[in-house]
Amino acid sequence: MKLLALESCNVTYGKAQALHSVSIEVAQGEVVSLIGRNGAGKSTILKTIIGLKQPVSGRRVWKGDDVTARLPNQLGRLGIGYVPEDRRIFDNLTVHENLRIATVMGRTGAWTETRIFEMFPVLLDRASQAGNTLSGGEQQMLAISRALLTNPELLLLDEPTEGLAPLIVDELVDSMRRINEEGMTLLLVEQNLRVPMKLAHRQYVVDNGTVQWSGTTADLLANREEIEKLISV
Amino acid sequence: MSIIVIGLSLSFLLFLLAAGLTLIFGMLGVINFAHGALYMLGAFVGYQIVHMTGSFWLGLLFAPLIVACVGALIEILALKQVYDRDHIFQLLLTFGFILVIDDATKMIWGFDYKQVPTPEIFMAPISMFGSQIPSYRLFVIGFGAAVSLALFLLLDRSKWGMIIRAASSDPEMAQTLGVNVNRVRTGVFALGAYLAALGGVVSAPLVPIELGMGFSVIIDCFVVVIIGGLGNIRGAILASLLLGMTRAAGYTYATEWVELLTFALLIGTLMFRPAGLFSTKGRSA
Repeated sequence: MKLLALESCNVTYGKAQALHSVSIEVAQGEVVSLIGRNGAGKSTILKTIIGLKQPVSGRRVWKGDDVTARLPNQLGRLGIGYVPEDRRIFDNLTVHENLRIATVMGRTGAWTETRIFEMFPVLLDRASQAGNTLSGGEQQMLAISRALLTNPELLLLDEPTEGLAPLIVDELVDSMRRINEEGMTLLLVEQNLRVPMKLAHRQYVVDNGTVQWSGTTADLLANREEIEKLISV
Repeated sequence: MSIIVIGLSLSFLLFLLAAGLTLIFGMLGVINFAHGALYMLGAFVGYQIVHMTGSFWLGLLFAPLIVACVGALIEILALKQVYDRDHIFQLLLTFGFILVIDDATKMIWGFDYKQVPTPEIFMAPISMFGSQIPSYRLFVIGFGAAVSLALFLLLDRSKWGMIIRAASSDPEMAQTLGVNVNRVRTGVFALGAYLAALGGVVSAPLVPIELGMGFSVIIDCFVVVIIGGLGNIRGAILASLLLGMTRAAGYTYATEWVELLTFALLIGTLMFRPAGLFSTKGRSA
């Protein structure tokens, strides 16, 4: 079943056009990645999905319904979770409050605080600390946990492994795989192929605000040289 | 002794106003020039209720609620329309509301100053440490402390406080988590108006209720907010205490020097600790 689609979306920042007629589809249960270099428009695509950017033309479709006019809080309540670039931990909330704020909208499901603390025990140790005292890796775990606690059907992850030590990246990749195996759909943004190759079923290559290529991970392997040219700096 | 009592009562009144100003700045990014006008409106509405019912307590209960509704309307009908614009539009708008509220007050209550009698149970002074202390001042201290404590509990411990803090720190992120930030903004502005009006009603038995009353108090509040650190509510309570005690001491020993002392504190802060005397790295509200 088609969970989410952007249809021919044009998005602008002031006079600069960031996305040119971008169309993306994500089906239930998939892991899809958007790859491309810095500034290609990947983050803007995620922001358009969660409603932080509104398309000047084009449609946002959720489970077959046109939700173009909805606001981020309404899209969050529909079941879209968002892990932003730079994590955006609330720095004046404790670690525990950063998790509790996600439960305020009242979406319940498989993800509970207990499960989060089982998956990332370090967050329990740091529960009463201020959110901004965590290390980069811990902040990433917190940002992912916060989004999981909204029990989303679709989880958007903007460069979740950026700037993290390789060991922690492996740990996060394992966690994301488990999350997907339990039925959650993931849409992942990355600058390189490392994590997408391990996790994603399908790939979109984004450059200059347009989708330049799309296909399965097997297709990508077959065209690896061409793709790497598109995303290399 | 009376310096301490007057200083503390002045401090808590200042804090009621400065807290609202700080909360509104933290959440809306707007310096609410009309805060003093809302304080004055609270005093006039309080006067009206006391005048009609004969009960100070009904005034204390209902006048702030009425002014909170006025605040909510100001936010929804006017401020909300200009958030996307440049900052100066929001400042001009809140400045405009001073004139609107002043003129509305003139039309309803005229030019004469009004008085609210001290509630009967606080008529008699109390002897403490060898001096006669006006008991209403003691009530103001106790009430102010209780409201301040309630405010801190609301912000630090309650679900609503957590939402306000999150939405102040990163409104977009809070919104993706299902928080209706528009409604939080309205709520915070109404809460600020409520606290300002509460200050107005509590001051009513102490000062003449007149058109200019909002103006003098708002200046002191800006001084408190700057000394405490813009957007820092913990700083605001310490700064309120500092300024309130300074002014009380000034009234007693060197009346002509009160304003000078106030602004010396302000200028000293701006010169040596421009982020506020009590600034910490994060904002607490």
